[in-house]
Amino acid sequence: MNKKLIIDSLSPLNDIGNRTRKSKYLILMIIPAIIFYVIFCYFPMYGIIIAFKDYDLGGEILTSPWIGFDNFRSIFSFPKFWSALKNTVIIGVSKLLISFVAAILMALLINEIRLRVFKKTFQTVVTFPHFLSWVIVAGLVLNIFGPAGIIDSIAQAVNGGESIELTHDPDFFLPMIFSTDVWKEAGWSSIIYLATMAGISPELYEAADIDGATRFQKLWHITLPAIKPTAILLLILSIGGILSAGFDQIYNMYNSAVIDAGVADILDTYIYRSTIQQGGLFPGEGAAVGLFKSVVSFILVIMVDRIAKLSGERGII
Amino acid sequence: MRKFKDIDYLPLRPKGGTFDSKVGTLDWVLFALLFIYGLIIIYPFYNAFLISISPEEVYNSTPFLLYPKAVTWSNYATVFADQEFWNGFKITLILLFVGTAYQLFFTVITGYALSRNKWVGKNLVMNMILVTMFFGGGLIPYMALIYSLGLNNSLAVLIIPGAIDTYNMLLMRNYFASLPPDLEESAKIDGANDIQIFYKVYLPMSLPMLATVGLFFAVGNWNSWYNAMLFINKPELRPLQYVLQLKITQASSQVDNLVIDDKFSAEGLKMASVFFTIVPMMCFYPFLQKFFVKGLVVGAIKG
Repeated sequence: MNKKLIIDSLSPLNDIGNRTRKSKYLILMIIPAIIFYVIFCYFPMYGIIIAFKDYDLGGEILTSPWIGFDNFRSIFSFPKFWSALKNTVIIGVSKLLISFVAAILMALLINEIRLRVFKKTFQTVVTFPHFLSWVIVAGLVLNIFGPAGIIDSIAQAVNGGESIELTHDPDFFLPMIFSTDVWKEAGWSSIIYLATMAGISPELYEAADIDGATRFQKLWHITLPAIKPTAILLLILSIGGILSAGFDQIYNMYNSAVIDAGVADILDTYIYRSTIQQGGLFPGEGAAVGLFKSVVSFILVIMVDRIAKLSGERGII
Repeated sequence: MRKFKDIDYLPLRPKGGTFDSKVGTLDWVLFALLFIYGLIIIYPFYNAFLISISPEEVYNSTPFLLYPKAVTWSNYATVFADQEFWNGFKITLILLFVGTAYQLFFTVITGYALSRNKWVGKNLVMNMILVTMFFGGGLIPYMALIYSLGLNNSLAVLIIPGAIDTYNMLLMRNYFASLPPDLEESAKIDGANDIQIFYKVYLPMSLPMLATVGLFFAVGNWNSWYNAMLFINKPELRPLQYVLQLKITQASSQVDNLVIDDKFSAEGLKMASVFFTIVPMMCFYPFLQKFFVKGLVVGAIKG
């Protein structure tokens, strides 16, 4: 490609206008994308100025009065904001680590299955839930743990009418979020590791066999080191998303009991519920919370990219 | 790029190795462990189905069922008779066909244009797109935009903003870039322009990848409810998943002080409606699995 560029730049015909004319059809194909990204991604970025304005949804952004950092001052004074931030970090980091470990563990176990039919069937079964929406999964989960669900109904029968509503129990909420996340995603996330494992040279295993290595030694000294680069890359890729701790999941599973206990609300659900659904935040304040989240996430991505490049891994930007 | 069939289902062990193929105790432990895990995945579906076909009094007396004690299809009859469900189904079908075709068209032409070398401004456009993967305006500015475009409360809001999915677009771009560039050169010599080269040469070669990306979009459309929740107030424009969301999770979360639909408070009815939404996915998934796996693996390797 470099060589081509040099030749092109030496050509007397090569001026920008000419090249544009030569590739006019490609430019025609990219125009819809430019329009799309400008409208749906860059206009909302411009809309960030809402965070510094006294704005009402549906109103005019430009003519709304500027109020400086007042929105930020007020959100930083809300205990609910800090509680949501704390929950976001707790849920985001835990989910990241748990799903990371679960996916690798799942891949290692699947890789050790020797009965091919079982392996195929198992993979189909465990990857399936990934394709369901959290609405559906929450429906299934509430049916088991929720009010009038299985556990509640059994408890009522045993305790003589006294119910156990696990979904309303603040101590149970986080374990439920983490385990349902593993239930839904672990199988799907394991595929990428399985693909990497399939690329490991068989000779390594053969050599290990000749040296008399046990199955576990082969796993530890061959398989794990082979998937390490993939694992590190996927881990750093996901760090930028920590503050998006999963709106769909939380929103479909939480309820007023766990929100009031201060364990369930994450930044995204806080923004939506308090700005749009129930009230409590002005749109400007909601935008301020959103901007706070975007900026912190962006800083995380940049930091992670730096660290990755410094430690010799492939960067992400 | 690795071949599709290698990553579809991965061999237990690389073929031709001198491995101990004897099945030992460890294999049985592993089998038992994974079997139990598989049951944990399946049980909620099985349970939902059981409840959906059990008469309410059976469920109330014995909520924990392992097999159906009595079978009734009345829950399904109620769901099928429910106008809101059929309406949601209709909206979802529109999203599934119109939305998927629309998304596929814009995502694929963008991916193709970005996969070609040398056109003025390509790097600028590419960077402009990549920035949006790492930084966004957030919910409130997005809502302000949709309101000011006047898209709220219309079917268009469920389709138009989804035109290009950056991840899938890059997947397409990488795929086009991996195809031999000589084809483009020779088609050029024959006098074809870039659009002709795209749909006569490269598009026919990319059908498996097109299917993969199309299926990702189709699943997304089948599952979509978030935009509807944000922007749709008219009951007749609600897609299926949002109808379900209102009837099931939101009713039980009590966040909204919504009037709970009494008719749908019975677990049997809830599960019948959930199951009704899962079944199409269950029927298609086993046959389409390889396409999804391919998309994931190709995307991650090239990423």
